[in-house]
Amino acid sequence: MPFWDRNKNSQELRVIKTARDKDSINRAAKSGLNPLIKKVEPSDKIRSKYSVVQNKKTGEIEIVGDYRGGFYSDDNNNFETVIDWTFYYPHSFKSPFAAYLIPKDIKIGERVFIEDLIEDYIGASWNQGDTYRLESCEAIWNGTDLKIQYDPRANRSDFIG
Amino acid sequence: MKFDPLTKDIYTDKDEFVKTMNCPYKMSWDNLEATSSTLRKCANCDHLIVETEGLTDDDLLKIVIQNPDTCLKIDLNQLNIKIISNAILGQK
Repeated sequence: MPFWDRNKNSQELRVIKTARDKDSINRAAKSGLNPLIKKVEPSDKIRSKYSVVQNKKTGEIEIVGDYRGGFYSDDNNNFETVIDWTFYYPHSFKSPFAAYLIPKDIKIGERVFIEDLIEDYIGASWNQGDTYRLESCEAIWNGTDLKIQYDPRANRSDFIG
Repeated sequence: MKFDPLTKDIYTDKDEFVKTMNCPYKMSWDNLEATSSTLRKCANCDHLIVETEGLTDDDLLKIVIQNPDTCLKIDLNQLNIKIISNAILGQK
């Protein structure tokens, strides 16, 4: 596969859907799909930062995510930092487990496109230290599991859409 | 211009919503055909993708109002953008 094609869901690839709660997993199973259950395990490599500043006069707060510029300072210096820069895991999935919904006729060695990755891989990173999840990726079915075909070159700082 | 990488929402500096970025083909800038210094073309859908690094908020709004399906390219490190992460914290 050429480098420039690495993130593309090429037309030849089957799309593997993800179910993220018990009911949708069971619905998929009843419809004939084979749910491949995975734990949803946050990676400490995925992180966003924030800081909270508060207006000393009004008590209102602003949330800041970018070191650049005095975003919420003003001439009268009315804002003070009440929570300094803090990194956190920015996602909250409703279930601690999820499942890839595997078609019954999948072949060993078949390359597929996972639309909604359960595992955490870095898809984008920012020079201020924030890193963002890769949403989709290709994988290969080995008969029992999907082997994620993560390419570190997917880690970029730009977004298209 | 403001951008939330978690929701992929773009706003102007005055908090006017511009658009949510979404590429069903998961394309990246490097795999687009350059048509000028600020435009690239997607072979999958024939859309032009606009480089936003040199755009003002007014330019951006004009482009998206004229064609709401316009695709954009944003780099987290470009100078005319502030990264926000308010959405995940229950804010806009």
